[in-house]
Amino acid sequence: MSALYDVDNVSLDLAGPASGLQRLLPGTAPRLTILSNLSLSIAPGEMLGLVGESGSGKSTLARAMMGLVGITGGRLSFEGRPVKSRPDFVKVRQGTALMFQDAVASLSPRRKVSAQIVEPFEINGVSLPEGAKTAVTMLERVGLAPALAQRFPHELSGGQARRVSVARALALNPRLVIADEPTAGLDVSVQAEILNLMSGLRRDLGLSFLIITHNLAVVRHVTDRVAVLYLGRMAEWGPTRQVFARPLHPYTRSLIAAEPQADPRKRRADLALKGEIPSVLARPSGCEFHTRCPLARPRCAAEEPQPLMITPDRMVRCHFAEDTRTETQGGNHGTDLEH
Amino acid sequence: MSAPLIKVDDLSITYASEEGPLQALRHATLEARAGEAIGIVGESGCGKSTLASAMINLLARNARVTSGGVVFGGRDILSASDEEKRRLRGRHIAMIFQDPMTSFNPVLTIGEQLVDFQDQREGLSKSEKRQQAAAMLKRVGISDPVRCLDRFVHELSGGMRQRAAIAAALLMTPDVLVADEPTTALDVTMEAQIIHLLRELRRDYNGAIIIVTHHLGVVGELCDRVYVMYAGEVVEEGSTDDVYHSPRHPYTQALIACDPANLHDQTPVLPTIPGRLPDLVKPPAGCSFAARCARATEHCRSVAPAHVMVGPRHFARCHEALS
Repeated sequence: MSALYDVDNVSLDLAGPASGLQRLLPGTAPRLTILSNLSLSIAPGEMLGLVGESGSGKSTLARAMMGLVGITGGRLSFEGRPVKSRPDFVKVRQGTALMFQDAVASLSPRRKVSAQIVEPFEINGVSLPEGAKTAVTMLERVGLAPALAQRFPHELSGGQARRVSVARALALNPRLVIADEPTAGLDVSVQAEILNLMSGLRRDLGLSFLIITHNLAVVRHVTDRVAVLYLGRMAEWGPTRQVFARPLHPYTRSLIAAEPQADPRKRRADLALKGEIPSVLARPSGCEFHTRCPLARPRCAAEEPQPLMITPDRMVRCHFAEDTRTETQGGNHGTDLEH
Repeated sequence: MSAPLIKVDDLSITYASEEGPLQALRHATLEARAGEAIGIVGESGCGKSTLASAMINLLARNARVTSGGVVFGGRDILSASDEEKRRLRGRHIAMIFQDPMTSFNPVLTIGEQLVDFQDQREGLSKSEKRQQAAAMLKRVGISDPVRCLDRFVHELSGGMRQRAAIAAALLMTPDVLVADEPTTALDVTMEAQIIHLLRELRRDYNGAIIIVTHHLGVVGELCDRVYVMYAGEVVEEGSTDDVYHSPRHPYTQALIACDPANLHDQTPVLPTIPGRLPDLVKPPAGCSFAARCARATEHCRSVAPAHVMVGPRHFARCHEALS
């Protein structure tokens, strides 16, 4: 299966804070690694989840895929064609839509919904497919009443604003929608409505979705595959079901264990993950997770783990992934592994 | 059983709006005892924030109390004078807000603010108050409290900010601590740490903790009792275990069913609650959930249900609760 969007070994680093002497001698200033050797591909019609804490580089990767920040290493390709120059990214943006995290803030407060959802056509010089009726048709596609076209963003509820941003993302019939925290701040029932809407669009239109979130419950239910990012590096990826049934990276395990349980009989007795994600200014040596890892041994601080392909569709970067794998295999998890 | 520390009694609050008074809270009753953690859950517009603001006496200007009151220390605090209200806030009833970034003043250091918050503490010098502040920061898990005192709020990470906000609220050892969505702005790992901290603080804190949230998981992890709100009313109350394991109000049942955290198998279509909240300017004559309830009868649409006792200290506002 050829990928719709392929991210191959992508890195992004920025100039770090330099001392006086370093500023005078070009090339000696420190570089800060933001993203490091990330690879991931999205198949047509696939829903891929990208998870990790704030500061793990999820949104930066999405922005790099849209050409909003430049990469410093690796290759991007969209529909089989390499994406390097500005004109390439213009093409990517016509076939891809980004839904921003704050749906209300991503709408202009001074323009009506009708004017804003047809903007993608105007920007790309495409005539409105249904003329004056276009806005209403677009709203109907995401389950909103035509009357909403005449509203201003402040007159919308959180769920409605989210639907408007879905409508706008769909304007140019994209092949890929990148949704940054599509359900953050929504009530549970509205969250389910938005996710169902996205799943329905994927089924009916064959759209691919990249869903960026720290809400694991969302990822568990709607995505086919999940990638876990930590401090700009891929910790683990694989089919969602397998990753949740048997996480192989201690970070993935901690994230799953940190989710609050809506059941007083299953209260967490202990903390899964202590401390905070380190700053990119002080990236830990070796495996960057060793400072918080419950399994860390001296080797982890000294040596960087290499990506390990457990199966052709499952990757983990941990020195002890094989141990974890054999340990958990003895249990009753075998049935969870069916595709 | 000890007497309640704080009691909300038949409280109704309306907000002035262009279309007429909006009935944001209708006949809400709630109580919290010393050492108890209670949760108030519900979706946007259910009145949970209005209820929280009433408990700390920070109601908006266009709010009007149309029935009932909030009883603390044997008297109604909503009718207290401004001076008395000021004395209660912080000292006896404190609040942790959703966004810790905006709950601190951006141009004063954390230390200056934590000293100011002890204004009502007499007989302590400024340096002693500063020591108190540092001790409280240490208590909430800030590893370098003295350095934190000299920081501005923007210099702290999200998790640190919320810890500092909790320290600020606990500084005067209030009797009642109200936390409005204390973990909504945080990552899942920070959320777990804040929940852990609040649970730990509960052990050596003898006040009442009231958690207001739309997140069932937070209440599940922290609270002894829970109040479920819908369209301005408390529709179900009981122990967290009873309400989560045998919910009796159809709204509670629907809310629990559509939380993806409760679904163990992958489902292509997630359950939702069809329909919309009723217009609270003209609330329905019958049960406010009837329009969205699969079990609603003609009786439900015309007659408002009373609180029905469905078990020990477990109530539901539903005609069908016992059937």
